[in-house]
Amino acid sequence: MAGLTVVAIAIYVVAQQRHFTGAFGGTGGGLFFGVCGFALIVFHNLLSLRKRFPVWRIGKSQTWMRAHLWFGLLTIPVVIFHTGFVLGGRLSALTFWLCMIVIASGFVGATLQHFMPRLMTQRVPMETIYDQIDRVQGQLLAEADGLIKDVEATAAKSGVLLFKNEEKGTAVATASTSLEPFEELRSVYQQRLRPFLAKRGDYGNPLYQRSNAKGLFFRLRKLIPKEVHIVLDDLENICEEKRDLDRQSRMHRVLHGWLLVHVPLAYGLLILVIVHAISAIRYL
Amino acid sequence: MQQNPPISLTIDGKEIVVPAGTTVFDAARMNNIPIPTLCHQQNETPVAACRLCVVDTGARAYSAACIRPVEPGLKVITDSPAIQNVRKGVIELLMADHPTPCVRQQHSGDCELEGFAKNFDATESRYPKRQKARGQDDSSLSILVDHAACILCDRCIRACAEVRHNFVIARQGKGYETTIAFDLNDSMGGSSCVACGECMVSCPTGALTNKKVVGQHLDTGFSMDVQDLLALPVFKGVSGTFLELNKGAVVKRSFKKGEIIFREGDFGSTAYYILSGKVDIFISSPRGHVNTEQEPSGWLNLLKNKLVPRSRHQREGENLSQGYISIDAPVDLAYDNPISQLVPGDLFGEMTCMSFYPRSATVRAAEDCVVLEMLRNVLDVLQKNKTFRAQLDQKYRERALSTHIRSVPIFSSLSEEFIEHLRPRVELLRFAPGEAILRQGDAADAFYLVRIGFVKVTEAYPGGELVLAYLSKGSYFGEIGLLGGGVRTASCIALDHVEVVRIAAQDFNEMLAQFPEIDSSLRKASEARQQENQQRFKQVSSVPVDQFLTQGLMEAQSLLVLDLDRCTRCDQCVKACADSHGGVTRLIRDGLQFDKYLVATSCRQCRDPLCMVGCPVGAIRRKGSLEIIIEDWCIGCGACSQGCPYGNINMQEFMVEGRAGIDETHKKAQVVRKATSCNLCHDFPEPSCVYACPHDAAHRVSPTKFFAEMLTQDGGNKD
Repeated sequence: MAGLTVVAIAIYVVAQQRHFTGAFGGTGGGLFFGVCGFALIVFHNLLSLRKRFPVWRIGKSQTWMRAHLWFGLLTIPVVIFHTGFVLGGRLSALTFWLCMIVIASGFVGATLQHFMPRLMTQRVPMETIYDQIDRVQGQLLAEADGLIKDVEATAAKSGVLLFKNEEKGTAVATASTSLEPFEELRSVYQQRLRPFLAKRGDYGNPLYQRSNAKGLFFRLRKLIPKEVHIVLDDLENICEEKRDLDRQSRMHRVLHGWLLVHVPLAYGLLILVIVHAISAIRYL
Repeated sequence: MQQNPPISLTIDGKEIVVPAGTTVFDAARMNNIPIPTLCHQQNETPVAACRLCVVDTGARAYSAACIRPVEPGLKVITDSPAIQNVRKGVIELLMADHPTPCVRQQHSGDCELEGFAKNFDATESRYPKRQKARGQDDSSLSILVDHAACILCDRCIRACAEVRHNFVIARQGKGYETTIAFDLNDSMGGSSCVACGECMVSCPTGALTNKKVVGQHLDTGFSMDVQDLLALPVFKGVSGTFLELNKGAVVKRSFKKGEIIFREGDFGSTAYYILSGKVDIFISSPRGHVNTEQEPSGWLNLLKNKLVPRSRHQREGENLSQGYISIDAPVDLAYDNPISQLVPGDLFGEMTCMSFYPRSATVRAAEDCVVLEMLRNVLDVLQKNKTFRAQLDQKYRERALSTHIRSVPIFSSLSEEFIEHLRPRVELLRFAPGEAILRQGDAADAFYLVRIGFVKVTEAYPGGELVLAYLSKGSYFGEIGLLGGGVRTASCIALDHVEVVRIAAQDFNEMLAQFPEIDSSLRKASEARQQENQQRFKQVSSVPVDQFLTQGLMEAQSLLVLDLDRCTRCDQCVKACADSHGGVTRLIRDGLQFDKYLVATSCRQCRDPLCMVGCPVGAIRRKGSLEIIIEDWCIGCGACSQGCPYGNINMQEFMVEGRAGIDETHKKAQVVRKATSCNLCHDFPEPSCVYACPHDAAHRVSPTKFFAEMLTQDGGNKD
């Protein structure tokens, strides 16, 4: 790639020496870079086609991706040499800047795709399939509702709570003199925990911060009898998992969100380049 | 001839006269004076084991009435507080070693011991219970043996020996450890017990109880009387007691011509025996692969074919030379025209009945016919019946041996003369689940063909046992030992109810001498098997086993791993997989994680391929490189899919061309279900998922190499 860049510079220097003033794009050298730039932009757009048909045996996707990245870099000097450092008319200027934005967004994307997967692996230990997040979240909510319902039912029935101790596989019974702590648990669940669990990507919720959630559960543990801490542990784990899902959603959007800029602009650039080429040939 | 004079005696103040030689127990019984007993029955020799029938004869100690002969002038007291006290003591001692309520008491409430305990107010024993349980023997299909409930009264032993003359049951052990035992202390199912049921009928407690086939009920509208059943030649020699106890477990059904008896892939629990008429047995599922591609036509398809150049439409390693398809019947079906006919005296559906595998083929009445449908306890008893076995064996030798041997491609060239020579010489052997057919290190003395069931082939290695293969009907084993050093190199264990055809070493060697091409093919196949086994053995021996055991990765031969540090979760791998396989993916980008690698849900080509156990038509197998191959005659029953512990086999629907001539319902093009699993995109140079990954994150690897090197910090080594 470096060699190609050196060759491009050499061609530009030689061609530029023959044309001291004026627009460069319409000269022989300029046209050469224009054709190269056009070909490169068409090639870059073909990557999306390649991805649409992954089974086609037309070169490994990895090769295409590498070529996309490296030729993307080469596109910068080629396009700049094509302009001869003069932007010309509005269409030319628009095309040039759009090209630079597309390349810049590509840089951002490549950088994100380089670092984000590792970050995601580290920060989202309970990762799931992105399309399944809503479903998993629904299951978590149902599980939490079930836990609270059990607490309410047994507490309301006799003031005696009976919970299964999962670790020991035994039942633990405890007498409760007052239902007040359980009212508090229900209230906290309905007003704070449940809304957090029910809303996907509730980043503004204080419970999205682990420290806040820890504080809340610490307070609840002080209020609620020890035997019911199993339920609190479960609820805390559910919140932790929900936080993971939210974090995954956010990171996934970051990881792929740049494509919403890059891809449409790339298509737009292709159209502009075609228009630019036709008009340039017409008025040559 | 001089007769002994009658003897007069007094029992409970009543003067009675009985023939000489009569026991006190019988004398009392004849005069309606009840004496309680547990160990004694009228049709068995008295042994005075329980001592419950003690009576006062004026002697120094109480006598057991069942063995005490009458004497002139004998005065007997059968009931007094002292006698009751002794009897209660006996019952308390027995109850101390008897679960309350026992199985019989739970089911029918007529455990004799517990009945006496209630009468004598001895339900709670003063004596401590046994600390160590005596256990149960669940191996028989008809009878449950609960040693804990046994009071060692010996009624079963005498019933087996004196009433039935089978001599299977006896006592084993000494003192407190004594139990009843079968043959040489074998399990009841593995012994020579013919399940006549006499012991069960004799048992006073829940130690021997009738096992009904739980959850299985046949339509009683078709049930037959025991006498009618016994009149059939097929039930000759079968115990009437057993049939009485299992009424409704065998029914007679009539089918009109063209009526379907069952369809392939159906689940069932019964076997059928043809009494009259003929039935057609066939595989109606069209052959074909889920990814069968049409030949390209039109410019668009031609272009597509250029862009997606599948190298071949045939699966690599497929059994192209397959002549026959093995099914659960005494016949094999021709690969090209999978239909055959069964005649009166034929038994079909054995594997489904005994091991609950799906039906392997569709059966349709070829003419009006009458069949017996039976549950597994009846079939088991029939299988143990010498007359029935002999009849089945004879039929097998006459009709099935030839196609069975020829169904193994290597033996397809055997001449009819040689098969004729083998016909009377082969042995048909049955093995119960878990029973060893041959063991590693034994002398090699025979060659085996699997006739029914599944055989697990294992080889011992330091620290464990390596499963080399699962063999089903149509497979063979034992040739390596015969061709090599005369010693078994692996063990072969029956996974379920297995029947094998045993060809003695002498006949085997004769066959090799007469047919050099078979000798050559067999030697090649044997060498290939040994090399594969050696290769796998090396792999297992050279990896840090413990690291992988927890995640089951040791069992895999090829994993699809995704490097999560590189994977951008773009799902191009999933899309490529779906595109390669008609729009349905065979991989899920989810699964367990090992370090930074995600082991995707996709076929692992397991070393211990549990998916192979249970295929009723032997359509799933390993090819030479140990990959899992699903043959094109898969009937879509889903047994392999259920067998895969990792959820990597899916049932997929796809359209195939119809096939006229066999089943009316399968003439037109139709949607059929077939099992699918990752086939490593065998028709491409590289799996599509790996090929389509833009970030070099997806790899198909050998876990033993890949992770071992990763753990030793040498970096991953991809296959």
